[in-house]
Amino acid sequence: MDFVILSIVMLAIGVYGLLTNRQLLKVFISIELIATAATLNFVMLVAAPQGLSEALLILAFSVDTAVSAVILALLVIVSKRYGTSDISKILSQMQENEKLEESEVEAQ
Amino acid sequence: MIELIVDVLAVGLIVSAVLALFLDEVVYSVAALSGTFLFTALIYYFNGAIYAAIFQFVVGIGTLAILFLSGEMLGEKSLKKTSPARTAGLFGAGVVLSLPAIFLSVSGQTDVASNVNIGDALWTLRGGDILLQALVILTVALGIGIVLFERRKK
Repeated sequence: MDFVILSIVMLAIGVYGLLTNRQLLKVFISIELIATAATLNFVMLVAAPQGLSEALLILAFSVDTAVSAVILALLVIVSKRYGTSDISKILSQMQENEKLEESEVEAQ
Repeated sequence: MIELIVDVLAVGLIVSAVLALFLDEVVYSVAALSGTFLFTALIYYFNGAIYAAIFQFVVGIGTLAILFLSGEMLGEKSLKKTSPARTAGLFGAGVVLSLPAIFLSVSGQTDVASNVNIGDALWTLRGGDILLQALVILTVALGIGIVLFERRKK
């Protein structure tokens, strides 16, 4: 079993999901998978004694949790504001809003 | 024996990651993600990293609880459901993707040495990190509190 390859595969799956999925929640799941791949490397590969690698992992977990909380809060705000969790719909609504604002400025 | 168990867990980890990303139903995706967290914690456990396994399990449970709630809030109710054939295809793709990790090797070191107590590692070797981390969390909490207070005033 090679944990380098395992975490690279996990990272690749996460990045692929991040690039191809249009649902906000799936984007969040992709980020979680990328973070899991990184922490897997921390425990299994770090060139340090196990206790030290686990201590580093705890730091990584706390950062990961904070990042997840911020991302989730942003997702909830965006989906409530635009009424959808589809990225393409959100982008088209943003463009429409920009056009409306520009036309209002021109009218003034 | 343990190597075989870890191999099976690695296959389960990749399969559940693929299912979590590509299943159409949000609730099933989150359930598959719970499998990812569980398999990761078990891999840590079987490699002797018990504290890491416990932390992974606890953090995973918290994340999943939030994801189930937000999945209901954010997930749009789609009529499209994943067909059994697609699920089987995703399962097969996950198994195929996990094979390189089992049969190939790019690193010499797969096991970790166990000669530092986690208490020493946390407080003696990484004490500065722990204190700075506490400072960051306190600052973020204060920032959130100030933002909420300003909003309430408006």
